[in-house]
Formats: sequence, C-alpha cells, structure tokens
Amino acid sequence: MAMSKSVRNALGLSGHYAGLIAFAIFTTFPFLWALSSGLSSDASKMYLFPDGFWPHEASFMWFERVFQEMPFLTYLKNSTIMSFFTIIGVVAISVLAGYPLARMKFPGRGLIFVAIIATMMLPGEVGIVPNFITLKNFGDFANWIQESIGLGSSWNMREWIGLNSYFGAIIPNFAGAFGIFLMKQAFEQIPQDLIDAARVDGATEMQILWKVMVPVTAPSIAALAIFTLVNAWNDYLWPSIVMNSKEKLPLAVGVFNDLTGPFATSDNILMAAIVMTVVPVLVFFAFTQRYFISGMDGAVK
Amino acid sequence: MKNSSSYTAVAYLFLAPALILMGIFTFWPVGYNTYLAFHDYAIADGTATWNNFEHFKYIYHEDLFHSALKNSLLYLLVVPCIQLAALVIAKLVNNKLPGMTFFRATYYIPVITAISVAGVAWAFVYKYDGMLNGFLTWVSHFIGYHSGFERVEIDWIGNPDIAIYSVMVFTFWKGLGYYMVLYLAGLQAIPTEVEEAAILDGANAWDRFWKITVPMVKPTILLCTLLSTIAAMKAFQEVIVLTKGQSDTYTALFYVYDQAFRNYNFGRAAAAGLVVTFFCMILAIIQFRFFGDKK
Repeated sequence: MAMSKSVRNALGLSGHYAGLIAFAIFTTFPFLWALSSGLSSDASKMYLFPDGFWPHEASFMWFERVFQEMPFLTYLKNSTIMSFFTIIGVVAISVLAGYPLARMKFPGRGLIFVAIIATMMLPGEVGIVPNFITLKNFGDFANWIQESIGLGSSWNMREWIGLNSYFGAIIPNFAGAFGIFLMKQAFEQIPQDLIDAARVDGATEMQILWKVMVPVTAPSIAALAIFTLVNAWNDYLWPSIVMNSKEKLPLAVGVFNDLTGPFATSDNILMAAIVMTVVPVLVFFAFTQRYFISGMDGAVK
Repeated sequence: MKNSSSYTAVAYLFLAPALILMGIFTFWPVGYNTYLAFHDYAIADGTATWNNFEHFKYIYHEDLFHSALKNSLLYLLVVPCIQLAALVIAKLVNNKLPGMTFFRATYYIPVITAISVAGVAWAFVYKYDGMLNGFLTWVSHFIGYHSGFERVEIDWIGNPDIAIYSVMVFTFWKGLGYYMVLYLAGLQAIPTEVEEAAILDGANAWDRFWKITVPMVKPTILLCTLLSTIAAMKAFQEVIVLTKGQSDTYTALFYVYDQAFRNYNFGRAAAAGLVVTFFCMILAIIQFRFFGDKK
C-alpha cells in the first residue's frame, strides 16, 4: 500500500469528475458545435475537429439571416399561443380531476383511477390515425354548423376546431394521466383538518378546491405547468400531422421543415436557427430546473 | 355530510372534463383503431368496409413490415445501454460535491430539446462530411493511422448496415437525462449508512455498485426498464427526423406512420399499429414476470 489515503481520495475524486465531464461533453457537444458554427462567418472550418468548436471571425450575420429566410417570429408566436393554452387546459383539467380522486369518496373512484393510470401503458402513438379522423369529423361538423346557420364560406369554421387549427393541435394533450396523477398526489398531502374546517364553515367543494387546495399546492401546480410548457413547446409529431398551413406551424415543426427543406441554403444558417430554437427553452430551464428534478421525484413516489 | 347523491354528482362534475377528453382522444382511438384494422377506410367519404383480415394477411407477407418489426426488436438493444448509463450517471451526481446541480441540469438538456431540432443537429454530426467524421479524422491523424489530408468518410445514417445503430445512439443521447432523474429519485431513498458501512468493510466501488446500489433501486430499475422498452418498441420520431426511413431504418411505428400519412391507407396502418400494441403488451408482461417475481 504505497499510496496514502489522501492521494487515493484525490485520485478517486478526479476520476469522479472526469466521468461527469465526459458525460457532460457527450450531452452538450451538438449544441456547443451549433453555437460556434452559428457564430462563425468563416464556414470553412465548421466540420474540422477541434476547430469547429470555436467561432472563426465571429459575427451575428447568420442569426440575422435566419429572420430573413424563415418566418421565425411567426413560428415563435404560434408556439407561444399553443403552449399557453395547453398549460391552461392541462392545469385546469388535472386540478379538477385530481381533487375528487384524492379527497372525495364516491362510487366508481377506484375504477376511474385505474383506467386513467392504465392509459400510461398504452402506446399513445397508435392513436394518431383515429385522432386524425376524429379531428377531420370535428372540422366537418363545424362546417355543417356554418352552412346550416347560413354563414358565408369566408368564416371557414372548419379550421376553428378541425384539422389545421390550433385547437386540434393541442386538444389531445389536455387530459393526461401524468398531470392528474401529479395533482392527486399533491392533494393527498394536505391535512384533512384544513378541509374539515372549510366544510364546517359551509364551503362548497368548488370553494374548498379553489380557496384552500389550489393555494396550498401551488408548487405542484407550478411544476405541472413547467413540464407542460416544455412538452408543448417541443411537441413535434402531432402538430406536424395536423397543421398543413405554414403560417400556423410551431417552432419545433416549422424550423425543422425549413431546415430540411429545399430552401436550406447554408449550413451555418441552420446552426444559427438550431441555437435560436433551443435557447428560449434553455433559459427557461435554467430558472426552473429545480422543479424538474423535484417534480419527477413527486411523480415517481 | 350533505346528501350523498349531489355529493357524487359534484365529484363526477369535477371529473367530467378529464373523462370526456380522455374518452375522445385516448380510449376511443383504442377501439376505433381495432375497428379500422379490419376494414378498408376511404378517406374521402369516411366509409369503412369489412375486408376479411386483408390488412393482416398483407402485412404478414410483406417484407417491409418484417424488416420494420425486426428493426424495432433490434432497437431494444438500446434499453440495457441506456439503463446502465443512466444509473451510473445518477450515482455520480448523487452526492454533495460542488457543481452537481450544474451537471444534473447539463444531462437533462437533451430531454428538454425538441426532437426535431436535436435531430437536425445530429444529422449534421452524422453526415459523411460531418463532425463525427471530422473528430475521427483528428483521432486517426493523432494515432498516426491516417496521414496528410485523408479524411474518415463513414456515412453514419446513409449506410444500411450501421444507420439503425446511429439512430439508436441518438435515442440514447436524448433519453439519458430522463432516466437519470428517475434513478436519482430512487437513489435518494437509500439511507447513506448502508453505503458507509460497506466502505468501512473495505468493499470497493465496483462491488458497492453491484451489491448495494443495484439491488436497492430494483423497483426503479423495473419501472425504467419497462418505460424504456415500450419507448424503444415505439421509436419512430427519431427515424422521421434523422433518416426518413431510408437505409434500412424502418421501425414498426414508422411503418404505421408511413402507411397512414404517405400512403393514406388508414386500415393497414391501424392493423400494423395493433400488432405493435400487441408486442408492447407481451414485452410488458415478460418484464413483470421476469423482475416482479424475485421481489
């Protein structure tokens, strides 16, 4: 045993950090590379290692070109609208459904809860074909209403709730087992005394939920809202199927289509666009990351 | 207590929005998908006609669907890799050393990136004159294997022999942080005394990992393996964004997607989807048998 204990500890610690840094490089290198390529006005070294990982003749010209070559702000607006309403929908529905499942006794409660949890096991992607048809029918129905009350075709109500509508792109995500489960867990933590006291005061269930439960579970609601925001912001598949007009696409779909489409002119523009799409999420994540870890924690237990 | 029937009514009123939406967009698709699988669906007028198992007979004999299923099963290789790596990372960040919050957040970044945008970045890494080959060129020059201006030129997502593995690496990269957080939750439930006692007994890090950590997070391992097996069986967004099904990367759900939205054959897509659901359920049952009994 030649090595002293402190040397071995130091070696162990450096090994520990070496492992951590190796994994950190693995998870971030595409973004670091995209950032430095987006900032380089000299594109010739982009694919060279290690030169590609720092900017050459740094400038923001590619970022400016992104705004000229794709309707970035339109996509940003669409993503914002869709994410905002998804959060409202998911939070409202999960809070409403979580409360009776956690704190009220009524016939059928067990069965409903099991049914909701069971949906987590279903391969949800198999639902894309039936949901596509359902939304097509929604659109036909809206069109039928429009015709039967005699509105002109300029109203185009088919695209209010059917295919190619914001509504259609987000509504299937509203009621999810994850959100309901998270809120149920949160409501179960609240002491019964608080509810009993409100009941004695003659509060209705709606008042208990709104005035007692919601304020106390605000951290869980925040966690749910943050999760929902990230999922909605990044949702690619379903909006890409439902939306067919370019001016309604969210960032995840619109940027992808433009990047891989025939108008992709220079690799550096693509890299700049990738950075611009990822950065809003990263900034948001930097401020809220504690909720991600603790929110997942709550959901597992 | 107020009268019980109005109380029940209030409970159901609260549940109504969730139940109605889940009914329309989660439960109804299961039934309707099964119905479609046995019918020819005409997208123009929305009529479905019974076709005597034609879709199942067709995909049973179709090579493309066979290779799609084969690729989806091959994709399960990613499960043990991602689970082991996620557990190791969770172990590495589960302590009070400085900088751990930073590393946890860093590992989570791929999870919160849109799959489409991450896919574009990786397509640039993978293309034959891309960054991965640039890196390998640098390595091969460094160890003296190549000289001068020679470049490594492997078409990572264009070569049918390796493309599927490249897509799997992307899945691995994207999912690592998610499972890390789940394992972290499991690890934090282990009392620190257990590990300290083992250190006093002179157990090395390797033994401690396999004999203490792994057995104690077994419930989390079951959960994560189940989630990632189903995710691997369902993998196809990766395929859409990286290869569009070129170079032998068709997976089972990509077949479903392709039949539905490129061929507009909703019936056949539904039949293939039903087969995938069936496989997912079998895998889930196998795992519950395999891990569940030993608890």
